[in-house]
Amino acid sequence: MEGKSPINKFGRGHRDKVQQFMAITGASEKAAVQALKASDWHLEGAFDVFYSQPQSKIHTDSRQLEELYNKYKDPYLDMIMADGIARLCNDLQVDPQDIVMLVASWHMKAATMCEFSKQEFVGGLQSIGIDSLDKFQERIPFMRSELKDEQKFREIYTFSFGWAKEKGQKSLALDTAIGMWQLLFAEKHWPLVDHWCQFLQAQHNKAISRDTWSQLLEFTRTVDFGLANYDAEGAWPYLIDEFVDYLNENGVGADGFSRTIGA
Amino acid sequence: MLLLFIDRSFTVPSFDVQVKLGRGNMEIELEQGWEIIERGITRLKNILEGLPEPKFSSTNYMELYTTVYNMCTQKPHDYSQQLYDRYRESIEDYINSMVLPSLREKHDEFMPRELVKRWENHKVLVRWLSHIFHYLDPEFIPRRSLLPLREVGFICFRNLVYHAFYRDLRVWVLSLIDQEREGEEIDRALLKNVVDIFVEIGMGRMDCYDNDLEAAMLKATAVYYSRKASNWILEDSCPDYLFKVEECLKREKDRVSHSLHSRSEPKLLEKVQNELLSLHENQLLENKDSGLHVLLRDDMVDDLSRMFRLFSRLRYGLETVADLFRQHVTGEGTALVKQAEDAASNKKCLSEPDSVGLQVFVRKVIELHDKYLAYVSDCFQNHTLFHKALKEAFEIFCNKGVSGSSSAELLATFCDNILKKGGSEKLSDEAIEETLEKVVKVLAYISDKDLFAEFYRKKLARRLLFDKSANDDHERSILTKLKQQCGGQFTSKMEGMVTDLTLARENQTSFEEYLGNNANANPGIDLTVTVLTTGFWPSYKSFDLNLPVEMVKCVEVFREFYQTKTKHRKITWIYSLGTCNLIGKFEPKTMELIVTTYQASALLLFNTADRLSYSEIMAQLNLTDDDVVRLLHSLSCAKYKILIKDPNTKTISPTDSFEFNTKFTDKMRRIKIPLPPVDEKKKVIEDVDKDRRYAIDASIVRIMKSRKTLCHQPLVMECVAQLGRMFKPDIKAIKKRIEDLISRDYLERDKDNPNLFRYLA
Repeated sequence: MEGKSPINKFGRGHRDKVQQFMAITGASEKAAVQALKASDWHLEGAFDVFYSQPQSKIHTDSRQLEELYNKYKDPYLDMIMADGIARLCNDLQVDPQDIVMLVASWHMKAATMCEFSKQEFVGGLQSIGIDSLDKFQERIPFMRSELKDEQKFREIYTFSFGWAKEKGQKSLALDTAIGMWQLLFAEKHWPLVDHWCQFLQAQHNKAISRDTWSQLLEFTRTVDFGLANYDAEGAWPYLIDEFVDYLNENGVGADGFSRTIGA
Repeated sequence: MLLLFIDRSFTVPSFDVQVKLGRGNMEIELEQGWEIIERGITRLKNILEGLPEPKFSSTNYMELYTTVYNMCTQKPHDYSQQLYDRYRESIEDYINSMVLPSLREKHDEFMPRELVKRWENHKVLVRWLSHIFHYLDPEFIPRRSLLPLREVGFICFRNLVYHAFYRDLRVWVLSLIDQEREGEEIDRALLKNVVDIFVEIGMGRMDCYDNDLEAAMLKATAVYYSRKASNWILEDSCPDYLFKVEECLKREKDRVSHSLHSRSEPKLLEKVQNELLSLHENQLLENKDSGLHVLLRDDMVDDLSRMFRLFSRLRYGLETVADLFRQHVTGEGTALVKQAEDAASNKKCLSEPDSVGLQVFVRKVIELHDKYLAYVSDCFQNHTLFHKALKEAFEIFCNKGVSGSSSAELLATFCDNILKKGGSEKLSDEAIEETLEKVVKVLAYISDKDLFAEFYRKKLARRLLFDKSANDDHERSILTKLKQQCGGQFTSKMEGMVTDLTLARENQTSFEEYLGNNANANPGIDLTVTVLTTGFWPSYKSFDLNLPVEMVKCVEVFREFYQTKTKHRKITWIYSLGTCNLIGKFEPKTMELIVTTYQASALLLFNTADRLSYSEIMAQLNLTDDDVVRLLHSLSCAKYKILIKDPNTKTISPTDSFEFNTKFTDKMRRIKIPLPPVDEKKKVIEDVDKDRRYAIDASIVRIMKSRKTLCHQPLVMECVAQLGRMFKPDIKAIKKRIEDLISRDYLERDKDNPNLFRYLA
């Protein structure tokens, strides 16, 4: 009977991967090894394997979570407000503008940006197995990786609209929308994002409807850079039709080259 | 019973003969019998050759017939087969020895002539011989499944004579036809006879005619007319060319009935019209000097009718004509628009509005419509293609505005000028009715019908309220016509307006009675009130004009009166539409001034002040700058200067002051001081746009409610179709409304297919 830990059977490279995997997913060594073996020792593939399995509940300490919450909560309200969030980011060594905070908010199903209710905070962190600052920090790479997943990106994108808009408003203010788009499409590269934002500022100057927001994602996913397969007769929102006209007028079109758009 | 037929060159009386066909014990030997028969045949041949021969009597016939009969019925030697063969042989022999040689020595016209003669003779010969050998027909021939006698006879001729000579015959036929085409006299009878050979030689089938003659004839016809066409197309004008074509078709038809078989008629005519018309259609129609455009321009009715007649023969001939017709009408219409546009911009340089020019433009459009509609009915036999072309052409240019005014507005202004008193058109009642009828027809081509309705309504309001309507009957008449064409909803408000006026008159009568009965209710001023039903009339801004004291009581009195009539209605006063008669006590003489209520209110201020500034006037009246400027301008800078303006410039500025002009006078005792109306155009367009948004919303909701789910394209199409009666909705506008309805939670996009919408109950 071997007394040694099975991990020592593997070479240095593999051991590192197992460790990394455990840190990111919070999985047990056994599960880590299993997943990595299944994916031929490719880390990304291992994540897929792991997450496609039914999750075993990752244990979190609810008392610790409560303490964490209290650390950042606003003195007068039972919420974490902007101030608290700024402190949290500072402690995590993460820029408050970092998209990771958006992903976290998504997990929390936060209603509005810059504030978390107790339930949102606690419930959300629990669902991704965080109960301490350290664990939060460890999970950051994982959360970043979630943006690479097509389906999750879509959910996060859709979530962002409701989250970023003012309470009680139906539409999203243009400046906020532009900021969100730039943030989101930095992660999932869309070559026309700058043109889109320029166009909106030059010609639209009004709030963005939910329909336009969601249809834009469709646009980025289905329409080629050269706009060759854009169906003008289709059900695209009016604003997107205008955008295509704008692109054609400014030389982005079938030839696929974009010339500098005049100021 | 034996029946003998009557034929041309040899008459045999018909009679019943009971022949005792003796069947003696003596059998007839073949050669023996044949000798008798052959003798008879030879005599027949000689007769045909015209050689002197005694007549062939019925007894001769009987002898021969009997011989055949016996030879066929005797036993044991039944010579039926031999007789059958020798029948044929004698015919062949005759052809080879007599017929062919005589034909071979004939040339030119004489060959066909001879052949016709020989064919006739042959038919006779076959007939005679068939009678003689008749007994073979009923039993022997069918029993052996052989060809009947008559057929055998014809086949001999066909194989030996026809096959040798048909090509020469054909050449002759074709050349004769061409000669006749060139105008020469030909022997039509001979031609017919030759053609008949081709027909008859087919023995019930037409393949000889079709293959040996007709095919080549059709080809030659095509060649002939192709050549003619190339010449004529260069030399002749379009009408002349078409005239020739009609002539040719007539002559060819004639020729068929005289000389050819009727079955060739459609094919022949088709070839002719193909070469002359189909292949040159475009060139003819588009001829710069004499083509369709020119004919239409120069009113060449006969030529146009002929063109229609001829091209309707071709399968798709009329499509091209209708297309060019449409282009022509569109061109004419567009030229009118340009003309009007140019005239208007010239006038603009002189800063006059070109109302006369625009009036003329509309009238010219109506005249254009009359002209081309006449062509459609007179020359083009009301064919749907041409009605459609006319409609499309008008739809193209009728929707172009002129000089910033849409065609809907121009049409409404045109109607206004006809219907108002002192309008620019001085027409008889009949002429007015006719014109209104035509205007409504032109309205059908305009896509923004709702815009027309709104302009019309605004102008109708003006006419009714300022008593400018010339004739009530005409007003009602045009509304009836509009209702017929555009539906009840189109005219319901306007009809309401006209009815309101009648009711208002009745109301005024009761008001005057009321005043008569209540002495202390009298306001001291004669007051006439017109009560309008809000929904029918265009919306008017009602500002809170500070009424002069004198008028305040009037308003009160009427209000009290109205309360007695009905407690459920609310009255809103529209002072901007009222008129006043003022007595102006000027130094030279007292005069009566007819002004608007606004103007009157301003003037009455000078009863208590000699001099007032702009701002004082505005404050007192409580009106907008726009209104104040306009009314002061009309009183101090226009024709009648009731007020003296300081400084004495041409325009009103907020720093001006005004004094009552006590020295004012005019040679008339009573003058009207007009207040030019505000330009309603912008407001009308805004109102219509707003209504359209509601209409589109309602349409989309209606469609989605019944369909539950629908894709984008079909939704847009249905929406356009539903609204098309009143206006042509902009696709972008529809898209915007869809998005608006989505944000208002009437609709949603399907999660999997963004092109599909769902109705949210």
